[in-house]
Amino acid sequence: MNRLHPRVRVVWAAQAAVAAAVLTTITVAVDRLAVDLPGWAPPAVLVVVLGVGVSLALARYRVWRYEVRDDALYLERGIFTRVRTVVPFVRLQHVDSSRGPVERLLGLASAVVYTAGSRGADVRIPGLTPAGADDLRERLKRLAIRAEGEDAV
Amino acid sequence: MKLSPLSVPYRVVERGASVVFTAAILFSGASAAFGPAGGPIAVALVGLGLLGLVAYEVTYYRRFAYALDEETLDIRSGVISRRNREIPLRRVQNVDISRNVVQRALGIAVVDFETAGGSETEASLRFVAFEEAKRLQGEIGRLKRGEAADDEGAGPATTELFALAPRELALVGALSFDARVPGLLILLLSGSVPALSSLLPAGSGRLLLAAGVVALALGVVLVAWAAGAVVAVLNYYDFRLTRVGDELQYERGLLRRYDGSIPLDKVQTLTVTDNPLKRAFGYAALRIETAGYAPGSGLGEGGSEAAVPLATRDRVFDLANHIETFGSPAFERPPRRVRSRYAIRYLIAAGVLVGLLYGADLLVARSIPWYGPAALALLAPVAAHLKWKHRGYWLGEDHLVTRNGVLRRRIKVVPYYRVQTVIDTRTVFQRRWGVATVTADTAGSLSLTGHDAAAVDVDAATAERLRTTLDTRLRTALATRRGWVDDADDADENLGSDAGAGTEDETDP
Repeated sequence: MNRLHPRVRVVWAAQAAVAAAVLTTITVAVDRLAVDLPGWAPPAVLVVVLGVGVSLALARYRVWRYEVRDDALYLERGIFTRVRTVVPFVRLQHVDSSRGPVERLLGLASAVVYTAGSRGADVRIPGLTPAGADDLRERLKRLAIRAEGEDAV
Repeated sequence: MKLSPLSVPYRVVERGASVVFTAAILFSGASAAFGPAGGPIAVALVGLGLLGLVAYEVTYYRRFAYALDEETLDIRSGVISRRNREIPLRRVQNVDISRNVVQRALGIAVVDFETAGGSETEASLRFVAFEEAKRLQGEIGRLKRGEAADDEGAGPATTELFALAPRELALVGALSFDARVPGLLILLLSGSVPALSSLLPAGSGRLLLAAGVVALALGVVLVAWAAGAVVAVLNYYDFRLTRVGDELQYERGLLRRYDGSIPLDKVQTLTVTDNPLKRAFGYAALRIETAGYAPGSGLGEGGSEAAVPLATRDRVFDLANHIETFGSPAFERPPRRVRSRYAIRYLIAAGVLVGLLYGADLLVARSIPWYGPAALALLAPVAAHLKWKHRGYWLGEDHLVTRNGVLRRRIKVVPYYRVQTVIDTRTVFQRRWGVATVTADTAGSLSLTGHDAAAVDVDAATAERLRTTLDTRLRTALATRRGWVDDADDADENLGSDAGAGTEDETDP
């Protein structure tokens, strides 16, 4: 079973920080424009959202696992709802590697796996090194061709 | 080939309505702006618009051409931006013909071609002669089977699988209660209640108001029921399902007639639905899902179009077995302990309801019977038991069959080779009870609404096993299938023998 790159925690924490910053700004705006909130409200929002976000990021990293098996891609993730997905290679439609802005900043990348299923686009493996993501993409592509998906629908 | 010449006037009239509407606005606008001269200017503008419309439609007709050859359907179209399309025939999922009353009088029809890609109709022929539409439908089926044109005389074997008897149609109507209508009506009418009550003399108030509310509720229910019945009868009038070679063809509709084809090898899942009322009288409904976008699955159309709205349970299972030979499922229920889980869940829901009412009571400071829902607690164990009883899964020879729901029970049949991904989810609560949900995701179009085939609340160890089994069986099934798909004759034989065996199976859900 592979784990994600440890730095993915920073990506998720950064996303939490952005959310915290936005929510704090909203709190300040509400305080100024509408209702008078106690002075400790904005920092409290910041601390709570950031704290929750960071602990979720850490927990998520602890749970996330993936494995390229002989004939299927296996993923395990989710903090509250534990999700285990089996994607047989015969069902792969295409595989992308993608890099968001925060990921680029931290030198990470994701691989996205598509199937014809109604939840196909759900399967995304974050926290890979760019080389690792490209490798995984190539490997999955080869495996999918080997498994041969003549009529994937 | 060209469209029907009648399509030009029909399209002009169809679009002309909007031109007339704009004309009315222009007219009032122009007479305001230019005074007395406005009238003639507006008339001139409308005339110009109509002329433009006619010119456009004529050009559209002249530009539009389609051709059907051995491998592809080619369509050349477009007035301003031109478009040439080649649709490989083996990617065509459904060919649907629909005609409304006017179109039927003119003898023209709309033909829609559905493919699995995208969320909308791949190609649409806006008005060809009805005979031409039927010819296209038949030809595409024939070309996909790879038959030569010269054995057209013999034609594929045609068997009628199902026809809705008038009595059944009446039943469908009677049982189609459109739940959306009462909601809407109540929303509309609730505004008028305070207004009405203020009109009443102060003394006589209470009783009269109560009577009024009851009468209103009855009326709403009646209207909703009638609306549901009318929609159902319009949709399913003269419904018949036939098997032509290895395609299913259906016809239905009173005012708007639908006429479609579904290749059997594109069927993704079968769903048998019923509710307590239908169960009590031994009836059920069947839906056939393909990966193509189903135009009939929109609001008010009553589900996917290849749907048997109502038939006795035996007939439904016979028919389902004819399409996918799965035999008679022996469902395995979730472990008994989940009944306690459901009971606790219902108790909590009742508790929350009581709490909310109590809160409301405190706020309004009136005596509402807030403890009322506590009686629901007595029902919790019964409801929990029913929920458990109607849940289950079954691993057949070639199919996964799942069953869920009490008030709206769904039995889903998924062939192993149609499974796309296998998903095992466990919420915090499920983990505490040591159970899991295993979902088999398919490419069916109705799965988008979130009703995938799922074995809900199975034991954690079973879930583990189910996940591996489904993955293995999917691959073996695919390998076997591709083995015999190469040889067309062999495939036909297989289909035939499967179908024969299917009708003999006894089914008891």
